[in-house]
Order: sequence, then structure tokens, then C-alpha cells
Amino acid sequence: MNNKPRLLSILDVVTIVLLVVATGLVFLYAPTEAVMGQVQRVFYFHVAANWVGMLGFLAAAVCGGFYLRTAERKWDIASLAAVEIGMVFAFIGIVTGSIWARPIWNTWWTWDPRLTTTTIMLLIYSAYLMLRSGIEDPDRRARFGAIYAIVGFLSVPLTFFSARLFRTIHPIVIGTNQPGAAGQFDMTAAMLQVFLFSLLTFTFIFADLLWHRIRLGWMEDRVEQLKMKLNA
Amino acid sequence: MLFNQQGPAETSVYMVAGYTVIFGFMLLYLVSLIVRRRRMARDLAALEAMEESGAQSNSVV
Repeated sequence: MNNKPRLLSILDVVTIVLLVVATGLVFLYAPTEAVMGQVQRVFYFHVAANWVGMLGFLAAAVCGGFYLRTAERKWDIASLAAVEIGMVFAFIGIVTGSIWARPIWNTWWTWDPRLTTTTIMLLIYSAYLMLRSGIEDPDRRARFGAIYAIVGFLSVPLTFFSARLFRTIHPIVIGTNQPGAAGQFDMTAAMLQVFLFSLLTFTFIFADLLWHRIRLGWMEDRVEQLKMKLNA
Repeated sequence: MLFNQQGPAETSVYMVAGYTVIFGFMLLYLVSLIVRRRRMARDLAALEAMEESGAQSNSVV
């Protein structure tokens, strides 16, 4: 358990290299947007962070489904790991969005449908962690966690489509913007390349962190089992 | 406000703030993983030692 797999070491290196290259592309290759200026560069990692957030919640729901079918601990450990990473990156997304909004919307925060649904999504997954910490029996905790991860995932498509379904000022990258959207821009070919590379990079970051977090989860599980055994 | 101007707006400070948040939180999470892993390894070693000593005393009895 303590020996780091060779493939994980390779994934670590690839991920770091990708992150360095992506950062270089954002600052040195992507052109400065004509109206918003430098702050538009936040867009590349802002969207990528939100992508990882949603990917994490999707992975948690899928792992939750597998847990309910098989009752194998590994799926519960993976589900928790995915939620934790999803929350970190969804939080990064919301904070960077707020920083971008200050000069573009002239406010740090507004109760726009996209921002509101994102906040609700984060609160739902915060409650997931609270629910887990309140249940001592590991099997019961895993079962409730799995059901919660699946039901909680409903908030993810709602968040994703909120900018398309409701009247919003939040710009849409792919598809048609709402008439009132503020801060939209036409992506040049170079911008699109950097954007797609950032998404790829953050997908690798997700995979790498997930693997590390699952390894930590196995250790936590072993410690919990030993404590229960010694207390019995 | 921004859309009535000539040329890009001066928004570098917000870009720096944005990337500070991105790298800062990613680094914080990474550090939290490392710290928790070390703590778990310590706990695991202690518990395994306790389990082993318990098993030895049982075998003596």
C-alpha cells in the first residue's frame, strides 16, 4: 500500500509537465482579449477547474452506483475521493469567477442563475461530507453516501444548463449566449487551442489527485478497521 | 463600463489574483494530502504494533 506504483509516478510527472505547458500557453501564447484585457486569461483555468468539479461529482455518482451494486469498499473510497476533489475545484471555479466578474460585471457577486446553482451544488456536496462524518458504521455510511452522491448529482446538470435554460448574464463558451450575457467574447483559434489544452491538463490533474486521494482513503479505511478491531 | 473604451482594459491585477487563487488552492490541497498521508502512516504503524503485541500476549496466554 505504501509503495507508490510506477504508473502513478509517471502520471505525476506528466501532469506537472502539462500544467507548466498550459500555464505557459495561457500567458505567452493566448492573445490578450480586445475588450476585457488580461483578466480574460482567468477564463482558461476557471472553466477547466469547473470541469474538474463536475467530473469529480460525476465520478462520485458512478462510484456510488457501483457501491450499491457490489458493496465493495473500494467504490466508497473512490466516491469520497472524487467528491473531495470536485469540491476543491468547484470552489476554485467560483472564486476565480468572482474575481473575473469584478472588472467585467462591476460586482464581485450577483445572484445570477449560474452562480446560484453553483453555490447550491457546493452546499449539497458540503452536506455530503457532513452526512458521512455523522455516521459511525462504515457500511451504513458507505450506503448513505452512495445514495447521496447519486441524488446530489442532479445538481450538476442543473448547474451546467442553468446558463442555457434561464435568463442569465453569465457568458456561454460553447453554444449561443443569452441576450443579456455580459463578458462574452469570440474565441480565436489560439484561444480555443489553449482552452482545450487547459481542459486536457486539468483532466490529468483530476486523475492524478484522484489516485493519490484513493490511496489515502485505503489507509484511512485500514486505520478505522484496526481501531474497531482493537476496541472490540 | 469596459465596453465603451478604446483598447483592452487594464485588468492585470485581477488576472494575478485569479491565478494566485488557482495555484494557491491547488497547492493547499496537495499539502493537505501529504500531511494527512503522513499522519495516517504514523497511526497505521502504531495500530499495527498494538495489534501485533496483542496477538503475541494472547499466544503466550
